[in-house]
Amino acid sequence: MKALARFYLLAILVFLYLPIMVMMAMGFNDSALYELPFRFTTRWYVALSGNDQLISAGINSIVIALITAVLATLAGTMAAVALDRRAVRGRTLLQLLLLPPIAIPWLITGTAMLVFFFWTGIGRGMHALLIGHVALAIPYVVLVVGTGLRTIRSDLEEAAISLGSTPLHAFFAVTLPLLTPSILGAALFAFAVSLDQFVISYFLSTPGFATLPVQIYSAIRKGFTPEINAISTILLVGSMSVIVVFAIFARPGGARDKR
Amino acid sequence: MPADAIIRPAASPSGAAAGHRLPSWFATAALLMPTYGWLLIAVFLPLCTMLVFSFMNATPMGRAPIVFTLKHYKAFITQPYLVGIAWDSLVIGFWTTFLCAVLGFFAALALARATIGRARETLLILILLPFWTNGLVRVFSWTMVLREGGFLDTLWHALLPEAGSIGFLYTRPAIVLGLVHGYLPYMILTCYIALVTIDDAIIEAAQSLGARWWTILTRVLVPLALPGLTTGAILTFVPVIGSFMEPRILGGRVGVTMGTVIEDQFTQAFNWPLGAALSFTMLAVILAIFATFSGVLRRNAGGVA
Amino acid sequence: MKITRRQTLGLLGAGAFAATAPLPFAMRPARAATKITVLNWQGYGTDEKWALEAFQKATGIEVVHDYFSSEPEMLTKLRTNPGAYDVVLINSARTQQAASEGLIEPIDFSKVANSAGLSPELRDHPNIKFEDKTYGVAWVWGITSLAITEGSAKPDSYAALADPAHKNKVALFDDAVTSVAIGALLTGQDMNNPSDLDAVKEKLKGFKDNVKLLWSSEDQWNKSFAAKEFDLSVYWSGAAVRSKRNSNLPVEFVVPKEGGIGWLDNLCIPVGAPNADAGLAFINYMIDPDFYVEWATKIGAPASANAAAMEKLPADDLNRKIHDPSYLKTMTIQSALPDDRREAFNNLWQEVKAFYAG
Repeated sequence: MKALARFYLLAILVFLYLPIMVMMAMGFNDSALYELPFRFTTRWYVALSGNDQLISAGINSIVIALITAVLATLAGTMAAVALDRRAVRGRTLLQLLLLPPIAIPWLITGTAMLVFFFWTGIGRGMHALLIGHVALAIPYVVLVVGTGLRTIRSDLEEAAISLGSTPLHAFFAVTLPLLTPSILGAALFAFAVSLDQFVISYFLSTPGFATLPVQIYSAIRKGFTPEINAISTILLVGSMSVIVVFAIFARPGGARDKR
Repeated sequence: MPADAIIRPAASPSGAAAGHRLPSWFATAALLMPTYGWLLIAVFLPLCTMLVFSFMNATPMGRAPIVFTLKHYKAFITQPYLVGIAWDSLVIGFWTTFLCAVLGFFAALALARATIGRARETLLILILLPFWTNGLVRVFSWTMVLREGGFLDTLWHALLPEAGSIGFLYTRPAIVLGLVHGYLPYMILTCYIALVTIDDAIIEAAQSLGARWWTILTRVLVPLALPGLTTGAILTFVPVIGSFMEPRILGGRVGVTMGTVIEDQFTQAFNWPLGAALSFTMLAVILAIFATFSGVLRRNAGGVA
Repeated sequence: MKITRRQTLGLLGAGAFAATAPLPFAMRPARAATKITVLNWQGYGTDEKWALEAFQKATGIEVVHDYFSSEPEMLTKLRTNPGAYDVVLINSARTQQAASEGLIEPIDFSKVANSAGLSPELRDHPNIKFEDKTYGVAWVWGITSLAITEGSAKPDSYAALADPAHKNKVALFDDAVTSVAIGALLTGQDMNNPSDLDAVKEKLKGFKDNVKLLWSSEDQWNKSFAAKEFDLSVYWSGAAVRSKRNSNLPVEFVVPKEGGIGWLDNLCIPVGAPNADAGLAFINYMIDPDFYVEWATKIGAPASANAAAMEKLPADDLNRKIHDPSYLKTMTIQSALPDDRREAFNNLWQEVKAFYAG
């Protein structure tokens, strides 16, 4: 059974990585029009090294995604805890209110933000981008962390309180360690949502300040070259290595499960 | 400030605390404040603007006088072909969600039951990592896999040189495939979160009572994973209905969905009111589906417990 | 009015500055050389690096860009960012709308010396006039018509789009106005104001079995054509030159008997432009024959509105061959559409697309 399960996981990974592999391969293919057969070149990486616009856009994206992940995870986790563990009037309504940001196409939310931010003087720029990204990431965090909370029994926490622990201490000592994987997962999602977000970034960025998805979106019209594959590959390999380093040096235990 | 907000509510034990402590509702409000305050400014107020727009005759930019009308909400009646598009979008949404749920549930199950420790953490990260590449680049890569003479065909012809093309770019299945690829990690993660907390003892107890694997799956594992499946379904179905990139790029001629219609209204046609009215109608349909769905779920859960 | 707009801009600018100060673009040197911001499609002539360097060397004016990806988006950007742009590219079908909304200024041609060489029928085209004033400098024009794989039979009519010989091998331009124009030309109607839209709709629906995909960008067209996904398509004249010359694609541009769908792009000065005179100087450079010849031969461009520039091209130049000046007399240029007509076109195209998908 275990062998079958592992084989299945492998198959899922192959499926998930198939287009990623193609993306990476095409970054080394000579044809600007992504034509086959494959001819090896590194010229897109050479071209990329001189493309300051694309590089700075890549850096901007990472910075915004990191800030977004931190802010959205903090706010969203707090809300998820309140919604799951405390008496909240109108809980269902509050939960339903998490859906519009996901359900309304980002194009509309983005246009609405552009108009509203213009009227209220918030304007465009990195701050506006952050406001938008965090808002879009929050519902994902609340939903993911909420799922985690629902599967953690609250009686443990209550037992701790009845034994004289303060609610704060009970939460941090009992629930939070169990919740950590959910919170980490939510943060990874928030990061991904921000990194992939192009519509809102496109509307809210100012001339000269762009994120990578905005650059890619603008490039659809003309010149979507394998340079974009190259920088995507670098970003992915970069984040992979960060995670590998993190995994090696992170203290063992922590989020590890009992088994 | 957020740290402050976490500590303060919890520092006031509900009810029995000293008089100068803040009341319990204040703590709850402080926990909810950042999320809903943020959503209010960044999403709800702007969307309210759009809601007002959706009752206007034309996009309120430029010099034309503003006339209020309901005509955009009647679009489904005056332009009946939109009903067909909406239905197709729902079908694509259901297929995507269904496939994600099946594939994702078993992936999460395998992850939770057949791996441990660092291997499991690494696998989980590996599953989430494709998400960190741009969606457009991923969809575009799929076109190179699926088109006639693409990677899939090349592989196929390497096995069977005489066979015809199996490329299926510009078809409905291509759209669903692209969407499943994009949303599967959500489902795996939410199911995993639900499954990982399941106690071994429950399954062992079921096994010792002679339950078959099918019974364990349907009577124990799926109900326990239900919160994860529900969240995953929300995170898949809801955005898929409004997606426009995957249908447009992978669908070619058949790639017409509510998402692309709405996108056209905003970009090409510059008819924001119609685009907004269509998406609010869509939102209403989605909310109705989930209201029905959660009602059914609650009734079933009540019957079992 | 102007003052309040400036104030709004100040607010926007201040906000942007506060949040993004460490980034170089936000630092506007108080007393440096003049800098102008151009709003255009990306990769459409005004942002050629070599040209901007030459222009800056000659005039000391630095040019930066902001881009749009659809015409309504361009108008929205002008409306929501008054005072942010000095030059904007506007399709002549939208010029009157922009002028009537007070988004752009009438042109002072005395500051655009090269305008003397403009073809009169373009310089004074009714499309770019509003209340007897000219609001744009005619820059480039082109034709939307058919492109085929080199060597295949040349279609003599748009009816080829419905010919079973091209089954599943046709790409259409995903644009309501262009598609309606084709349907109108096929049914012998005025493409800017067809009276029988149902006939247009039926004609377009007749392409269903042939349509493989709808393209929306030149890049997408190039990649799909390179992958041999279609052999007949609706395409732009200037893009056909670029696809053939820069990407070495075997494409041939054909204007069938019904005539091409003409378009004219002009460069305009937005109301409240911080450096209008520098903007005009840039426009002047953009219609300079020397710049055009270099752009057209090195990169590939639509036809210049400047007759002198077209004559400077080598006689065998592909661009010159495709953009025969005689077309100027015969082709219809897309003109301004009233809102209700545009909406009718859009709804029609949406319905046809739904039919294709069904």
